[in-house]
Amino acid sequence: MSTGSDKSSAATIGPTAAIKPDAVLRLPPQCTIRDAAQLLGQLLLHIEHSSPVYIDAAQVERVDTATLQLLVAFLHDRKVEQRAVVWLDCSDALLRAARALGLSRDLALAPAG
Amino acid sequence: MGIDLAQFHEAFFEESFEALESMEASLLKLDVGAPDPEVINTVFRVAHSIKGGAGMFNFSDIASFTHTCETLLDGVRAGRTRLTTAVMDLLLKSVDVMREMLRAAQRKESFDPQKVADLQFDLEVAVAKNDVAAAPALAASAPAAPPSAAQAAAAAPAAEAPLPEWQISVKPLENMLSRGNEPLALFAALAEHGELAVTASVEEVPPLAKIDPHRCYVHWMLSLKSTASEQQIAEAFEWVEGDCDYRITPAAPAQAAPPKGPTAAPAAEPPSPPAPAAEAAAARPAAKADAAAPAANAGDAGSIRVSVGKIDELINTVGEVVITQSMLAQLCALVEGPSAEQLRSGLAQLERNVRELHESVMRVRMLPIGFAFSRFPRLVRDVAQRLGKQIDLKLTGEQTELDKTVLERIGDPLVHLVRNSIDHGIEMPEERVAAGKPAAGTVHLEAFHRGSAIIIEVSDDGRGLDCDRILAKARSRGLVGPSETPGEEAIFELIFLPGFSTAEQTTDLSGRGVGMDVVRRNIKSLGGKIDIRSARGRGSRFTISLPLTLAIVDGQSVCVGCETYIVPLVSIVESLQIKAGGVNRLSNAGEVISFRGDYLPLLRLHELFGVEPRSRAIHEGLVVVVEGDGQRVGLFVDDLRGQQQVVIKSLETNYGHVPGISGATILGDGAVALILDVPGLIRSTSRRVAA
Repeated sequence: MSTGSDKSSAATIGPTAAIKPDAVLRLPPQCTIRDAAQLLGQLLLHIEHSSPVYIDAAQVERVDTATLQLLVAFLHDRKVEQRAVVWLDCSDALLRAARALGLSRDLALAPAG
Repeated sequence: MGIDLAQFHEAFFEESFEALESMEASLLKLDVGAPDPEVINTVFRVAHSIKGGAGMFNFSDIASFTHTCETLLDGVRAGRTRLTTAVMDLLLKSVDVMREMLRAAQRKESFDPQKVADLQFDLEVAVAKNDVAAAPALAASAPAAPPSAAQAAAAAPAAEAPLPEWQISVKPLENMLSRGNEPLALFAALAEHGELAVTASVEEVPPLAKIDPHRCYVHWMLSLKSTASEQQIAEAFEWVEGDCDYRITPAAPAQAAPPKGPTAAPAAEPPSPPAPAAEAAAARPAAKADAAAPAANAGDAGSIRVSVGKIDELINTVGEVVITQSMLAQLCALVEGPSAEQLRSGLAQLERNVRELHESVMRVRMLPIGFAFSRFPRLVRDVAQRLGKQIDLKLTGEQTELDKTVLERIGDPLVHLVRNSIDHGIEMPEERVAAGKPAAGTVHLEAFHRGSAIIIEVSDDGRGLDCDRILAKARSRGLVGPSETPGEEAIFELIFLPGFSTAEQTTDLSGRGVGMDVVRRNIKSLGGKIDIRSARGRGSRFTISLPLTLAIVDGQSVCVGCETYIVPLVSIVESLQIKAGGVNRLSNAGEVISFRGDYLPLLRLHELFGVEPRSRAIHEGLVVVVEGDGQRVGLFVDDLRGQQQVVIKSLETNYGHVPGISGATILGDGAVALILDVPGLIRSTSRRVAA
C-alpha cells in the first residue's frame, strides 16, 4: 500500500493537522458498483461543505469505474463552487485504476507538471 | 443500498461456460513444443475475463482459483514457464474444475474445496518450479522486471519500423457497468495487444445530485500501438458486446503513410487534451503475434443474447398462427361472391408469409453442430492418453445447423459412439503397424444435410466389428438360435440390444453393455435412426439421421372414417390405389401388397386404431406406402386430404404414450389429429410378423 509520499502519485496531499473528522471522507477497501449508491450518499453529504473536504483513500484495495466516476463528479462539482478537495492519502490500487481509465487528471491525481 | 447483481448471474454463467469452451479449444490447439503466442494470449484473456466476472459477482473462490491459473498462463506467455505436457494437463484440468465450480455456483451448491485446493497447489508448484528453472536461462536474454514502454520500444526488434497504431473510441451504453462489464477489464485486455494510451472524456458526467451511480457517463478514446489485427482487437469487445459502442480505426499516419520515426506522436484525435505519458496503461512488450497468424473467429457479427424460453414462446405463437392460417383457409373455401377471389389471394399471400416467418423463427433456434463437436478434441485426447492409443480426430461440417434441442440431446449418444470407436475400434499402435496401417488411428466426425434431415457420421479406421464374436455372444445369451445364421446387417443390429456387450473387460469408458441400446433409444426419441456399416480390419461407420427440428412437421392428412391422421411427409414414398384382389394374405405375415416387384406388409389403420372405416374394400380406399427404419409398409386409409405444416403437440406431456403415435396437432377446423409414428408402426408390424 502506498502512502501520500509516493512520488508517482503526485496526489494533492494537504496538511494533516487541524482537520475536522467530519471533513474527512474515508473510502473503504472495496469501492465498487455494489456500494456506489452508498458512496453517492456520502459524497452528497460532503458536497456543500464550505471548508475543504479531505479524501482518505489509503485503504482502497479494489476500485472500479463507477466509483471513480462518482469521485470525478464530486471533484468537478466542488471545483465549480470553488471549494477544495484534498487527497489525504491514496492507495496504489486507486492510482492504478485512475491511470488505466485516463482519469488521473480529472481526479487531480496526475503527476505535477 | 446496493444494486442486486444476482439478476446478472445467469448471463455471467452462460458467458463463462462459453468462454471455458473456447479456452479448452484454444488449449488443445497449442503445440506443446512451440506454442503460438497468440493462442496463449487468447487463453489468458479468457481466464482473465472469467476472473473479472467472478470477482465482480463475489464468487471469490472461483476468482482466486482462476487467478492462480492465470498466473501460470502468464508465465507461459512471458516465456518463464515452459509449456510441457504436464503443464497442459494441469491447464486442462483447471478448465474442468472451473467449469464444475461455476456449475456448483450456478446451482447454489457447494463445491469440494479439497479438489480445488489440490489443483491450486499443483498449479502453484508448476508456477514456482518453472519460474526457478527458467530464470537462469532467461536472465541473459530478458530483463528481470517487465520493461517499461520506453524500454520495450527501444529494445524491440521492430523499433526501426513503428508499430501500427489503432484509434479506438469506446462509448459505454446505459447498462454496461450495472451488467458487470468493467471498462478496467476491457482496457487491460486491450493492453495485452500492445501499448495502450487512454484518454477519458468526462463532459457528459452530470452533477453529483443528478448522477445515476450505476450508469457510465465517461467515454474514452484509446490509442493502441500493436501488430494485432482489427479482428483480434475486436475480440476484446466480445465480452461487452451490446453494452458499449466502439469503433476501431487505423490511425492514418502509421497505417497508410510511409513509416515515421519511432518517436512519432499519436494522432491528435481526441477532443480532450492528449494523454500524458504517465497516463498510459502499464506498458507491456508489444504483442509478438505473427501478422500472418490465422485470424481467430471469422465473421463475428453483432448478436444479442435471448433466452431459449422467449424463443420457444415465439415458436409456439408462430405455431398458433400456422393453425389460425389453415383455419382461415378452410373457412375461405366456403366463401363465395365477388370478394372471395380477393380473399383467397390475400390468404395465399398470408400463407407464404407465415411459412417465411416460421422458417425464420426456426432458424433462430438453429445452432451449428460445432457446439456438440467442440467437446471431442478434449475427450479424444484424454481417452487416447488413458488407453495408450494414438488418435487423429477429424471434424467436418461443423457449420451444419440443427435445432438446439436436437443438438443438446445428440451430444451424449455421440460421446458413446466416439468412445466406443477409440476403445473397441482403434487398435493399439503396434497392432496397427503390424496390420500395415499408420500407428495413429483416425476417428472422423462428419455432419451434413440431406433433404430435411441432418446426417452425422462417426467413422474410424480401426478393426471393424467382429461378426463372429458378436454372433457367438448372441448365441451364448440365447438371442440367436444355434442353427440360425443371420446376415451381416442383422448381426450388427444385435449390438443395439439392451445389455449386449462383447468387451471382455468392462472399463469405465465403454463396454458396460449399456451404451448402444441407450444410443439408439436416444436417437429414436429424437425421431432419428442409426445405421452401422463395418468392414473387418478396415473400420466402422455409424450413420445417424436426425430431423432438423422437432417442433413443426410437414404432413399429409389422411382420413379413416371420421378421424384424420397426419403422416409425416418425410416418411411417404408414394400413395396408390390397389385394384380389387391386389392383396395377398400370407399364413404367418398378415396381408401383403405387391409394390414395384416387392411385397409390402399392409397395415389397415382402422384396425390398428379401432375406427369404423368408410369402406373395408381395398379398391375403395388408398394405400400410402411409407418408409421407416429401412423398411416399407403400406397404410390402408379411406382418403387423402391436403398437405400442410402441423405444429407438434406432445401427447406424452398432455396425455400419455400411445404406440404408433408420435404426437398430436390441432387442425384448421379446431379438430385434433394424431401424428403417426411411422418407424413405430413398422416395428409393430415386424413384431406381429415375427410372432
